[in-house]
Amino acid sequence: MNTLLSLADNLQTFWGYTGFYNVESGHIIMILIGLVFIYLAITKEYEPLLLIPIGFGMLIGNIPFNEAAGLQIGIYEEGSVFNILYQGVVQGWYPPLIFLGIGAMTDFSALIANPKLILIGAACQFGIFGAYIIAIEWGFAPNEAGAIGIIGGADGPTAIFLTSKLAPHLLGAVAISAYSYMALVPVIQPPFMRLLTTPKERAMKMKTPRVVSQTEKVMFPIMGLLLTAFLVPSGLPLLGMLFFGNLLKESGVTRRLAETARGPLIDTITILLGLTVGASTQATTFLRIESLKVFLIGALSFVIATVTGILFVKAFNLILPKDKKINPLIGNAGVSAVPDAARISQTVGLEYNPSNYLLMHAMGPNVAGVIGSAVAAGILLGFLY
Amino acid sequence: MRIFKLFISLFITALLFTGCKSKIENPKWVINEVMVTNETNFVDDFGQRSGWIEIYNNTAGTLDLGGRYLTNDHNNPTKYPIPRGDVLTKVKPHQHVLFWADNEPFNGTFHANFVLDPTKENYIALYENDGRTLLDEIVIPAGIPVDRTYGFPQDGIKYNEEGSINAVLLDRVTPSSNNAILEENPKVVDMRDNDPWGGMLTITAMLVVFSALIGLYLFFKLSGNIATRVSKRKVAKSGTLSAVRSQTHLSGEVLAAISAAIYEMKEDQHDIESTILTIRQVKRDYSPWSAKWKSLRKLPN
Repeated sequence: MNTLLSLADNLQTFWGYTGFYNVESGHIIMILIGLVFIYLAITKEYEPLLLIPIGFGMLIGNIPFNEAAGLQIGIYEEGSVFNILYQGVVQGWYPPLIFLGIGAMTDFSALIANPKLILIGAACQFGIFGAYIIAIEWGFAPNEAGAIGIIGGADGPTAIFLTSKLAPHLLGAVAISAYSYMALVPVIQPPFMRLLTTPKERAMKMKTPRVVSQTEKVMFPIMGLLLTAFLVPSGLPLLGMLFFGNLLKESGVTRRLAETARGPLIDTITILLGLTVGASTQATTFLRIESLKVFLIGALSFVIATVTGILFVKAFNLILPKDKKINPLIGNAGVSAVPDAARISQTVGLEYNPSNYLLMHAMGPNVAGVIGSAVAAGILLGFLY
Repeated sequence: MRIFKLFISLFITALLFTGCKSKIENPKWVINEVMVTNETNFVDDFGQRSGWIEIYNNTAGTLDLGGRYLTNDHNNPTKYPIPRGDVLTKVKPHQHVLFWADNEPFNGTFHANFVLDPTKENYIALYENDGRTLLDEIVIPAGIPVDRTYGFPQDGIKYNEEGSINAVLLDRVTPSSNNAILEENPKVVDMRDNDPWGGMLTITAMLVVFSALIGLYLFFKLSGNIATRVSKRKVAKSGTLSAVRSQTHLSGEVLAAISAAIYEMKEDQHDIESTILTIRQVKRDYSPWSAKWKSLRKLPN
């Protein structure tokens, strides 16, 4: 009889440790969101390299367990495997490594050939500061508003880096928001691109960019670093790694290093970053009214950035000579989100002029957006950290 | 490469001639707060009250005080050698360590072999391991009230904007803790008070973003113009088709069509072909694709 009682006790204790016993509605909601991410990544191919790890991370992070038992399995439990992996996000060293890879895989030729496109990348950063103002209005503290605003930079690593410094408690919401909207760029941007341009503007062809010499390509990362980092030293971790990666690519003598940076290294960090950011959305810490606000402001920031980019090109065209005018459809590409935003310029452009290939032109503001958002992050860090 | 060298030289020259302002740096170790007479204040591990010296790690990295020297004598810089090998002498970034001026060096690492004299000026200095390099020094004026401390209102900020020393009689006694207690990030507080709408930050930040990217634009506009001119000169000298392209504003497609026509003309290939069509069978007796020997492993001889 005692044996039976003991068995019942054991089973009851075991039951207390299971996910079924500890589950709350928040866990189910987050698991469903994770499944949506995985669905979008596989069926719609929206940023699959990020949404699959993040989506699966959300499943991992929301498996309910007995937190009081001190099993050291949760991402927020010091010493757990996921907590150790999460340190790269918390301490902010995954994003600069991702930037190293981005630098090693980005061809800045379009930007060097037509440097005025850099200014579109600068204009689009208004999305960050527009969102900052809205966040302040909605009751967030300035440091939190800065972390939320950076979603408008449409650059996941930058958003994670800045939020880990300014408002670590918003990290999950900001990261998920940034990556979600980056994946949804093909849905968010085209309506505004059509709304703000005339059919004539959309069909406008741009002059073929000139061929860029190797010397110019080598000079770009060196001068890029010196000019931007001297102005905003707080952006150094991101800018330094971005331009360093690009120098590895363009120098022509460090092919192996460049291949590692844009291949195995960035892939490894992407897996770790995506998985741990996803797992950080543990329902108990993530499902709050603030997270909802962050999502709303994040969406607005993308809209503001897109609108600003397009309007800036239209205004810029007023002072440009006729043969150097810019198709406003590439204005959206300044929001970063490389290369999806540039691809959208191409797709929408082709709808109105089947012989108009805007991709190479759009890559200019697109990569300028990466630099611009890193500079903006540096400014926010300088003012608010 | 010549242009590259030219720009690097220009950049360095510009840097040398602009904004390289010299200013007095705060030391990496700062003698941060000193109590000369301790009657009712902080008690040591032995239940004794004595004067104390707080030293502050003013860097962003962990530093070790072990092996350095603490002294109250101008002529004897190595008066109290801080023992090596004590983990407690490793001071974390922007943290403090406290030494008792009780002349009881055998009470532990943090008990110096001298005392402070309230009746006269006290000189305190910290020296590097070599016993010659001064790390920091402070002169405590005579007549510091009992249970009050002399030091810097902001931890580690030894010099003010004008370069003079900030040390004052402090309002609060804060052994081993911050002299200025910060409840909130002062930058955030400042931003909330002075820019409640976020407008000023937005304008400032957009100006900085534009300045950074305009700098890049101007540089690459200039370098692009030079590169185009150099490349045109080179191809013009070479007399190739690229030279034509560089001199005209024709599109790549048009030039490709012209080149193809010139090539066909040169190779004597034109639209009017001879009307003889020859179809010749290619004779191939043997193909090894299904040969048996290909799929067998050769045995070593």
